[in-house]
Amino acid sequence: MSERLHPAEWDRDTGPFFAAAREGRLVYRRCNACGRGNHVPMASCRYCGSTETEWRESEGTGTLYSWTTVMHGVHPAWPVPYTVVIVALDDAPDVRLTGSLPGAPELNAGQAMQVWFESIGEGRVLPNWRPAEAKQERGQS
Amino acid sequence: MDNTRPAAIIAALALKDVGFCADVGVGGGAPAAMVGTAAAAIMSGQARHVLVYRSLNGRSQGRLGAAIAPRTEAGGLGSYDEFFTPYGLLTAPQSFALIAQRHRSLYGTTDAQFGATAILCRNNANRTPHAQMFGKPLDMDQYLASRMISTPLRLFDCCLETDGAAAVVVTSSERARDLRQPPALVRATAQAGASGMSGGMMFPSITWTEPTEVAASNVARQLWSRAGLGPREIDVAQIYDCFTITILLQLEAYGFCAAGEAGPMVESGAVSATGRMPINTDGGNMSGGYIHGLNHIVEGVRQIRGTASVQKADAQTCLVTSGPVGMSSALVLARAA
Ligand SMILES: [Zn+2]
Repeated sequence: MSERLHPAEWDRDTGPFFAAAREGRLVYRRCNACGRGNHVPMASCRYCGSTETEWRESEGTGTLYSWTTVMHGVHPAWPVPYTVVIVALDDAPDVRLTGSLPGAPELNAGQAMQVWFESIGEGRVLPNWRPAEAKQERGQS
Repeated sequence: MDNTRPAAIIAALALKDVGFCADVGVGGGAPAAMVGTAAAAIMSGQARHVLVYRSLNGRSQGRLGAAIAPRTEAGGLGSYDEFFTPYGLLTAPQSFALIAQRHRSLYGTTDAQFGATAILCRNNANRTPHAQMFGKPLDMDQYLASRMISTPLRLFDCCLETDGAAAVVVTSSERARDLRQPPALVRATAQAGASGMSGGMMFPSITWTEPTEVAASNVARQLWSRAGLGPREIDVAQIYDCFTITILLQLEAYGFCAAGEAGPMVESGAVSATGRMPINTDGGNMSGGYIHGLNHIVEGVRQIRGTASVQKADAQTCLVTSGPVGMSSALVLARAA
């Protein structure tokens, strides 16, 4: 098992997403002119062109938009199978964030998903996603 | 975008007085737009004849389908990889698998429909002696038994990697009139981006307006308007096919069927060799060879000349599309009146 890829955290347009994750917060870029969320985050809004955009904290819930279970391994840090999920944020459905689950879980389009914060070493944290039910079960223990 | 730089071509062919060169578009989305740029250069007097080429050595060396090289940090500087590769989203098949799964969720597209798409290309390749998969038949049992790469895409949903090159010469219709080969007229070209697209290359496409719509919908609108033609007037088509899903997306985007109906359309045989509008007649990227879709333009020219192995009888018009994600392009070739 080799070292997990970690995200560049120094980019001016995207760094605040990862800085917030280190604090256990999920943030997304929102346009104050048209009200839509923008992901991937850029300085201006991709829908209306406004530069009146800002980081806003998300409630951290979403729905499953798409997924793929990777069966052909290509990277030593990612033994197969594992499943990449794309989640649409409840508070900004245009914002679709990536997550990953181990194995090949049974998933359904539109199912509720919950953010969690995954430590990947040296203080780095990735906002990650799992089915909301699983989160509740774990919440009892 | 091509690793073979213009200077290398100029040197290899010992060309004198080259007066125009351009690097157009990105990857497989570029070839039709490259022809468009060549036509624009000729029409504006910047060039008389333009060689449009693509060369790849994906089989032996420059594997585009491979994962990014192992390293520790991902992303930054407008690549936006930081939102994808740390989660294990690493390759083109995985990225297109997410779009394919979205298509399934929206429209119920089936394994058998993806399979029929792959088999259609393979059947054409098996009638085309220069195709990479010539002599290697594929049936539905083999397709369904092929190993899963990234659900729902199997091995045979993925295109080939090829050592090869393809090129066309673009010149004025006046000059083409007395050439030895009958010309294929460029009726129209168009280039466009996807709705709600963002920076970055391939992975962010899943975050665009609706990734199943891709850029091809916007290319199609421009193309049909400029060509003065619509999907019903197209006799044969070469549809960019890095994966089976991109064929389905484009049959819908170019208006050959409604959204979600491409799977049933392929199964109906309408785009098979004997159908109303055959597609990917030399096997395309899936089974002919992967030259980023410049091979699709070459096959389009063959159809208009009447020299293809899987020839559509009396083909007057051929649609050729380039990669449908990101900046995409397409053109219509037509027989001279
Ligand atoms: Zn806006």
